[in-house]
Amino acid sequence: MRLSVAAAISHGRVYRRFGLSPRSRLDLLRNLVTALVRHERIETPWARADEMRGYAERLIDYAKRGDKDERAMRMADFWLTEKDLIHKLFKVLAPRFQPHSGSYTRLLQIPNRDGLDRAKMAVIELKGNALPPLVRPRRDSEKTLLNQLLKGYRQDAQRAAAP
Amino acid sequence: RFLSPEFIPPRGRTDPLKYYIERKDMIQRRKVFNIPEFYVGHVLAVTTANPHASDKCSRFVGICIQRGGKGLGATFVLRNVIEDQGVEICYELYSPRIQAIEVLKLEKRLDENLMYLRDALPEYSTFDVNMKPVPRMDHEEIPVNKVQVRMKPKPWSKRWERPKYNIKGIKFELPEHKMQAAQKWSQPWLEFDMLREYDTSKIEKKIRKELSEELKK
Repeated sequence: MRLSVAAAISHGRVYRRFGLSPRSRLDLLRNLVTALVRHERIETPWARADEMRGYAERLIDYAKRGDKDERAMRMADFWLTEKDLIHKLFKVLAPRFQPHSGSYTRLLQIPNRDGLDRAKMAVIELKGNALPPLVRPRRDSEKTLLNQLLKGYRQDAQRAAAP
Repeated sequence: RFLSPEFIPPRGRTDPLKYYIERKDMIQRRKVFNIPEFYVGHVLAVTTANPHASDKCSRFVGICIQRGGKGLGATFVLRNVIEDQGVEICYELYSPRIQAIEVLKLEKRLDENLMYLRDALPEYSTFDVNMKPVPRMDHEEIPVNKVQVRMKPKPWSKRWERPKYNIKGIKFELPEHKMQAAQKWSQPWLEFDMLREYDTSKIEKKIRKELSEELKK
C-alpha cells in the first residue's frame, strides 16, 4: 500500500500544523499562552488563537489544582516562559476562575490584517479582565414596531396608575 | 476494583449510543459466560470450539502480550513457544466460539505491551501446556514481575530501545553509544502536550455504576 497517500490525507486530525516541526509548534503556542497570561488580551491570527485556546484553558484547569501539586507546577513551568507569570497564574487567575467550570477565554474575529497577507485575525482574552470590554451590548433601536408597542403599553399603564 | 479496558470508549467523534449498545451486548455476554479479570503478562488457557478437532474443542495456553480493541471487538493475543516454534493466537474476548478462559498464573509485567517477547530468547515465552493453575493467596493485589528480559541479537522486528516504546522490561545489552543514539528520537515535549491527554476518570465512574447495576439484575 502506498504510504505516501496516507501521509497526505488528514481525515479526523485535530491538531493544526504550525512552524517547522511539532516542537516548534508547541514553542509557538507556548509564547502565545505566555503573552495571554501576561496581557490578558492578545491579537493574533485566528488559527493560532483557536489552537492556543485549548491549551490555555487546560493550563488554567491544571492551575486550579493548586500550586502544591507537582504535575501542575511542572506544566506551568513548561508553558510559561516568564517565571513571574507562574505566580500570577496560581495566585490571581486560578481563584478568579474557581467558580467557572469551563470556558475561561473569549475568541472574537477582527478585520483582516493590514499587511500583504490579509490574514484572518482574532482577539483572544481571558474573561473577567480589567480592560474595557470589547463588545458593548447595544440596545434595540426605539423605532422598531415591537418597541413602539411596548412604549405605548408602558404609557397606558402609567396613565391608568397615575390618577 | 477492576474495569476491563475495552469498556472505556476511545476519544473520537462517534455517537455514544454506539458504545452504549455495545456495552449492553457485552454485559449480556458476561452474564452467560464468565470472563475473568486479567492483565497483560498473565498466563491464560483458552478453550475454543473447533469443528475439525476430534473433541470439537481446542485448548491453547499462552502469555497475554497485548489487549487491543474496544467494545465487542476486544481482542487479546496469547503467545507460547511449542516445539521450538513461536505461536501467537489473537482471540476475541466476546466471541461465542470461546468455551472457557482460565487464568493459570497471575502476574503483571512492567509494560502494557509485551510484543518484544518476539525478539527475546524463546525461554521467556515458553509455558508448559499442562501447567496447573497457580493458587492465588490474597484477593487484593496482583504481583508485578520485574523480570528484565534478554533479547536475541539485533535486528529486531521493532527498535525497542527507542523512547517511543518506553519499554522497561528489557535488559539492553547494547553499547552505550547506541543507547545515546536512540535517545535522539525522544520527544520530551510530548508529556507537556495537554490536549493529548485523555482523562477517563468521569467516564470510568459512569461505566462502573452502569456495570454494577446491570450485573446485579
